[in-house]
Amino acid sequence: MAATTSSNLANRLNSIVGADRVRAPTDTEARAADAIVEPASIEEICEIVRMCEADRIALAPIGAARSLAGIRRSPVALGISMARLARIVAYEPDDMTIVAESGITVGKLNAAMAGARQRLPVDPCGPGMTTLGSLIGAAHSGPLRLSEGASRDLLIGVRFVGHGGNLVHGGGRVVKNVAGYDLMKLMGGAFGTLGIVTEATFKVRPIPSDYSIAVVPYARAADAFAAACILNDALPLSNLDILSPALAPRFNSTSQFLLLAGVSGSPLEIGCQAGRIRDLVGARGEILSADGALRSYELLRDVDFHSAPLAAQIAVPPASLAQVLEACGNDIEFRAHAGSGVAQIILADEPLAEVAAKTVARWREVARSARGSLRLIAAAPAFRDSLEFFDTPNDGALALMRRLKAAFDPAGIFNPGCFVGGI
Amino acid sequence: MSAIDRKLLDEFREILDADGIVSRATELKVYECDGWTVEKRAPDVLLLPRSTAQLSAILAALHRRGVAFVPRGAGTGLSGGCLSLNAPAMICTSRMNRILEIDFDNRRVEAESGVVNLHVTNAVKSKGYFYAPDPSSQVACTIGGNIAENSGGPHTLKYGVTTNHVLALEVVLPDGEVVELGGPAEERCGYDLVGVVVGAEGTAGIVTRATLKLMREPENHRTLLAAFPDADTATRAVSMIIASGIVPAALEMMDQLIIRAVEDAFNVGLPLDAGAVLIIELEGLEAGLTAYADEVAKTANLAGASSVRLARDEAERALLWKARKRAFGAVGRLAPNYATQDGVVPRTCLPRILRVIADVSRRYDLRIGNVFHAGDGNLHPIILYDEREPDQVRRAIDAGREILKACIEMGGSLTGEHGIGVEKIGEMPLMFSPDDLRVMTELRHVFDPMERSNPGKVIPQPGACVEVAAPRRQAPI
Repeated sequence: MAATTSSNLANRLNSIVGADRVRAPTDTEARAADAIVEPASIEEICEIVRMCEADRIALAPIGAARSLAGIRRSPVALGISMARLARIVAYEPDDMTIVAESGITVGKLNAAMAGARQRLPVDPCGPGMTTLGSLIGAAHSGPLRLSEGASRDLLIGVRFVGHGGNLVHGGGRVVKNVAGYDLMKLMGGAFGTLGIVTEATFKVRPIPSDYSIAVVPYARAADAFAAACILNDALPLSNLDILSPALAPRFNSTSQFLLLAGVSGSPLEIGCQAGRIRDLVGARGEILSADGALRSYELLRDVDFHSAPLAAQIAVPPASLAQVLEACGNDIEFRAHAGSGVAQIILADEPLAEVAAKTVARWREVARSARGSLRLIAAAPAFRDSLEFFDTPNDGALALMRRLKAAFDPAGIFNPGCFVGGI
Repeated sequence: MSAIDRKLLDEFREILDADGIVSRATELKVYECDGWTVEKRAPDVLLLPRSTAQLSAILAALHRRGVAFVPRGAGTGLSGGCLSLNAPAMICTSRMNRILEIDFDNRRVEAESGVVNLHVTNAVKSKGYFYAPDPSSQVACTIGGNIAENSGGPHTLKYGVTTNHVLALEVVLPDGEVVELGGPAEERCGYDLVGVVVGAEGTAGIVTRATLKLMREPENHRTLLAAFPDADTATRAVSMIIASGIVPAALEMMDQLIIRAVEDAFNVGLPLDAGAVLIIELEGLEAGLTAYADEVAKTANLAGASSVRLARDEAERALLWKARKRAFGAVGRLAPNYATQDGVVPRTCLPRILRVIADVSRRYDLRIGNVFHAGDGNLHPIILYDEREPDQVRRAIDAGREILKACIEMGGSLTGEHGIGVEKIGEMPLMFSPDDLRVMTELRHVFDPMERSNPGKVIPQPGACVEVAAPRRQAPI
């Protein structure tokens, strides 16, 4: 029966996009979707959405499929790969804005802007495989969020295919714009549950002329966080992060907590800030510059949590992050964006299903009591069924979210069943 | 026959103190418009709650009767956002004006929505912090109004607008239910409803409390005044400064008409022979500032500046900002009336749009001055006219619309910071397709299914045509 249905689906997709663009999923994609279609135009996506609505076929937008492969309990029937919708639509360096289709990766986008010494300063792990769609939908961010903001702060326009297969746009191409409701915010962090983002417009920023990073080891996490607090108060840092010992070896550290404080600007500014960092944290550690600094920053940015057996992102008011991480237990490793109050945490060893559920419950309680939140980034398939991937918002907010979902996805086909409250 | 009958008034009296209800026509006249003075209509009753509980009880009572309402902060808006349009009850948050918590460790402030914008910064500046959104009305406008309009200000260029600085909201929905959205952490699970309510112009219920982000004061500033022979050269300098990789904290432009008006009124020492001036403010570490200021001055000279002057001290800096912020007051001396637009274009289109504005000025035989946020491409053309001459009024309206249309054609927007309100609602279809507007209506209905919260704003009714009688008179941006 299932085979008949899927071959029927394939036949109908073939009639929309042609047989060469309907395929079986790769290993990673298989956890997100049973079949993959690669539309090459917005019109094709609109038609696919209409077909899926008519037949109640669950679908989800797919970039590299890392985000959804990490959290879906069961795959959706159809993954809409955005690989063929990956063009830069418009880039005007003097406007400091870029318009691109959502299938392009952050890495490619930034490569195209490098000649003008500009970048989209949102730095997810692995920019070479993070598409704009994923950046927006899964709200990825990285160390630079401290100084440059998250994609939420830089996304100024969006196009998406919504229910009925209608193409909708919000915002525009100008950096300041309050006409109409802010549909960009709706798409951010919605994990594809309200529609399929096809195009995004971002504000971009100049690449600073120089970058240096202080790498300072500490025996105790509390000392690293105390130093971070002092630095954050004194200097306009680019990034301010702390790595736990097991994640630090790539920096040639010897089982210590590492504080990584980045500074950017002109050589004069860098010199001034480096001097002050030395004054504030003492002579320990080193301050890397030029290529060495960039390599360290990239190592920091690319610490991968997607393939861990159990990984979560925790967000709390920044001053409580140290305590919160301590309360999560001594069986975790973490990367903490100390100035932002956001951290990714993992259990180093693969736990049993029962242990995983208890661990997540403990983390969640710790985050909740600090007035923060926790969501899972990845969990091994063996114990996914026993886990809640997102916090459940309060009753009032959740009721609004359910109404929003019902309004934007009346057929319930957009990545159903893996978001907050079972949305 | 008003929807506010004696029985409903009795209900309000049970909720509010006697001085919290205004229903006399003479007193209500104060509330007949905001900074957009063209259309006026007083509400039937004004309610001034002091707490979320009171406000919630009011909305519940209105909900039971199906009566629409309009939220109001300080009424400094410029697009008619709090005009009482088909809404008999006005609810003003000005008495909910307490700062509830200042958390320096986390750089957060929790405030009621009636708190005045500048009061937030005043409460934290002794410790070296500030609240970034700085609309020029910040001595009067409220946080709630800023949230409704997603307000900006001159320093938007570096810091972004209100939505970039709001973490959590307490909102009373149109049926009286109180909901908490967002939280004090930077990330939250679920849809970003805070991001939807900010900028919804009061159509998603009434915000009663907000958690705001604080910023650290920069170590120092440099403020430059660059004079140019004409507006074209000045806008070219804007592009060249941005292209050099320096992002100033503010980059403002005034053209000749405005320069002369400001000098006549305030005598602050602007160069009267200049065709346009730029005020450029840089901020950051002292160590880097002198070099950046030198580079900006060099770039301005290269672009064709006739002079570049660096403010020597805080007094001179304050004077330059006074000139900029009082420009609108100065223009009031040139003509009986003026109308201000808020269109936005991509920065590179500034020379083109300024030529369009000059051409419109000639063709419609109206004087138009320009004072605006050049770094953001956010225009404020000021169209001078005399409302005693109906033909001038007509021409002023048409001239404004033609400028807005040109902004849209260049890939811009109808409004950068003033909001759609009722003023630009008729132009929304220039920017958004019927599908876009339908989805926005669906979004509105999530919060307000009966469209009782600030009806008639933001989204035009299909088929309806909003006819504006005359353009706005004054607009202190």
